[in-house]
Amino acid sequence: MIGFLHPWMLAALPAVALPLLLHLLARREPPTVPFPAVRYLRTATAEHQRRFRLQHWLLLLLRMLLILALVLAASGPTMQLAGVPGHAPGALVVVLDNSASSGAMVGGTPQLETLVHAARQALGRATPEDAVWLLPADGRPRRGSPASLATLVDSLAVLPSRLDLGDAVTLANEILADDPRPGEILLLSDLQATALTSAAMRAPLIVGRPTDSPPVNRGVVSVDAGPQPWTREGGRLTVAVAGDSSAPLAVTARLGNAPPRETLIRPGDSVSVPLPSLADGWFVASAELAPDEFRLDDRGETVVHVSPVASVRCDRSDRYLSAACDVLEANHRIVAGNGISLGRVGGGPSIVTPPADAAELGALNRQLQQRGSEWHFGALHLDAVTTDSGGLLGTHRITRRYALETAGSGRTGVLVSAGGKPWAVRSGNIVLLGSRLDPAWTDLPLSAEFMPFMDRLLNRAVRGETALITASAGAPAALPDQATEVRRGDRRWTVEGGDFFTPTSLGAYFLLAGSDTIGALVAAVDPRESRLRRAGDDEVRRVWPGARLVSLDDVSDAAFSSAAQADLRGPLLWLALAVGLGEVLIASTRRKKT
Amino acid sequence: MANSSLAPHLRPDLLDPVDVARLGGIEVTTRGVVEGFLSGLHRSPRRGFSVEFAEHRMYQPGDELRYVDWKILGRNDRLYVKQYEEETNLRAMMVLDASRSMAWSGNPSVTLSKLEYAARLAAALSLILLRQRDAAGLVVFDDDVRHVVPPRARTTHWQQLASVLGQLRAGQGTAAAPALRRVMDFLRRRGMVIFISDLLMDRDLAMATLRFLRHRGHQVLVLHVLDPAEMLLSGPAEARFEDPESREAVILRPADWAEAYAETLQQVTRDWNLACRRFGIAYHQVLTNRPFGDALREALVVPRQQ
Repeated sequence: MIGFLHPWMLAALPAVALPLLLHLLARREPPTVPFPAVRYLRTATAEHQRRFRLQHWLLLLLRMLLILALVLAASGPTMQLAGVPGHAPGALVVVLDNSASSGAMVGGTPQLETLVHAARQALGRATPEDAVWLLPADGRPRRGSPASLATLVDSLAVLPSRLDLGDAVTLANEILADDPRPGEILLLSDLQATALTSAAMRAPLIVGRPTDSPPVNRGVVSVDAGPQPWTREGGRLTVAVAGDSSAPLAVTARLGNAPPRETLIRPGDSVSVPLPSLADGWFVASAELAPDEFRLDDRGETVVHVSPVASVRCDRSDRYLSAACDVLEANHRIVAGNGISLGRVGGGPSIVTPPADAAELGALNRQLQQRGSEWHFGALHLDAVTTDSGGLLGTHRITRRYALETAGSGRTGVLVSAGGKPWAVRSGNIVLLGSRLDPAWTDLPLSAEFMPFMDRLLNRAVRGETALITASAGAPAALPDQATEVRRGDRRWTVEGGDFFTPTSLGAYFLLAGSDTIGALVAAVDPRESRLRRAGDDEVRRVWPGARLVSLDDVSDAAFSSAAQADLRGPLLWLALAVGLGEVLIASTRRKKT
Repeated sequence: MANSSLAPHLRPDLLDPVDVARLGGIEVTTRGVVEGFLSGLHRSPRRGFSVEFAEHRMYQPGDELRYVDWKILGRNDRLYVKQYEEETNLRAMMVLDASRSMAWSGNPSVTLSKLEYAARLAAALSLILLRQRDAAGLVVFDDDVRHVVPPRARTTHWQQLASVLGQLRAGQGTAAAPALRRVMDFLRRRGMVIFISDLLMDRDLAMATLRFLRHRGHQVLVLHVLDPAEMLLSGPAEARFEDPESREAVILRPADWAEAYAETLQQVTRDWNLACRRFGIAYHQVLTNRPFGDALREALVVPRQQ
């Protein structure tokens, strides 16, 4: 396959026809000269005419060939030639999959070590004229000299995140699209079947495939503490485990420093482990398996908040709020009391819904103002919208709502939005809902999420606590508006509410607003990383048509392959020189002979 | 007369032919050319005087002094020369090519056409012959015989010849053999044939007839008229060279072929020369930019020495 470094130069190709055009133009209307001795001219030319005509066409051909060679040389052609020791200047993106699964030990060696070795071999073939990028699992391409990238490759560590190989290949193609040199993508990966996704295929893709089989793996897929907060009576930790074998294995569950509980579980199943609580506060709960060849998924964590359940004074005039209170109380998620006023504005924490009678709205807004709320109710909207899914509430239909208005920017304190506008907001310890929790206003009261929503609203939102944020390690996660600090052990990061935070390690990060802990962010290994099964060659070719699969040991030969794109500029210039000399030789010989 | 129209210090036979042609018609200018030519000779161009006395005539410059009749000079103080039978018996026929190719001039402002030049040359030759009391005749041809003037020795005969030569128009093709054969009708005894042509014809055919004439004992003189522009091929970068006679054409670049053409032309003239010499035929190349005197000198003086 022939590629071009400066393909726009090919626009000059029509110039090849220039000698022919000049020839045709020149011979179109030669002037007629009367000359009696034409018979002598015929005699003179008869001997040479045939050779002369041959030379004439040969000269024409050589001139056209000369222009063709020069134009082609200017366009920088390269051609795929097997066995060519060097290669034309090219562009190479090395996708190095140092995702979580690359931490698995294969044949006593970390998988990443094998991939790094292959990457170094490939980079060793690069020349200073090549453009080389390294694209690791963090998704940030780095361009540099082969030597600097080799150093960078050596410093790469296993990232606890997942790499979508299709996305990586697509990104690599986009990188190469801007480079005029013939490019190719070298993918060095453990080729997890779960990481294989389709990609936009433009540049040649070389896939370095490990030859050893992946190890048998079992890992913690999820750790769920259920509804929070836990009371001092404790709670249940639900642990899900996945694995390549069906043999039961022991899982150890732990809450803070409390004595661990151990139980058996089969891969693919989940188990609920009861754990006692010791005191109020925020604790890390964990579930751990016996170590295997892939350590990153042997432990899973979550965060448990232990505190008394909310004391709620319920507005019994509202049928659905009253029913919710009854259900939550029966399930020990709230107690009846004077803590939180639900439905109306109280003296303390309040969850306020708009009045059924619009005439009462003014009085309600004045009450809110007296309580120091930055938000108040505005105009009534009757158009149907849906809530935007978030940590507090999923997607639900809203048919009637009051606009929630604020004197501030309106960008903080929003808990739930509907149709892009605030629907549930928090100001201090007052939460305002834009709609009454009534089927005439929203379908939420009739949905299964109504009780969990009310639980989260009463036990967390009104206290200023946020839902537990679960994120993949290495992936950015949005922080709640009121967060000012992220803390993990002794490490602290000062943040601004609404910012993105990228956890670099697996485990729990606590979110603080001032000195109050308002929630937690748990970074976990993507469950798909635990499934180490490699994709077969057919599977790879089906997902990435045209991909060339090579063993990791053969990667150095395959790099810059499309085996050695031979630079044709040199040969073409030599050809042009030879053709030019030939033209001069024939032209001068012709003059002498005639 | 001719001399009265010429500048006294100029000899028309040595002037540029174009300049000579500008002085007047063929009849007038030819007299001047011949006068100049004869005055430049120290003796008569012809020496075919027989021992058998025929008559006296007035001395003319160029006549050999040994033929002067000293007795008449002593008696009448007039210069007469004795003429003999042989001289009056010389009959010369000029065969003039008037084909289309002869009407060509490479540069009309600088050179006469070959036909114009040849006509003047023929007129001068005939005048010289007549002045020597030789009989001069003329055959003009192109692709056929166009004019025939039988040979006469009367001095008034020249007006007839000059009239024909002065009104010549170029014909189309070239057929020399019939014209040369026609000559034999007028030369029963040994005579002289002057063939004036650009020789753009079939050489073998023409040579066969010339050879036959020579075989019959006639002196044969071939004057090959060439335009200087025919000697050197030139023109635009590329041109279509067309023969005005046959309309045959060749497209070529003169710069590429000039050398080859010159060699071919040289070879052609060499071949004509050799072919003529082999059979005792005199051959002379006459360029149309040369003075008439030069051409006459070659045509009349040299053949007698062969």
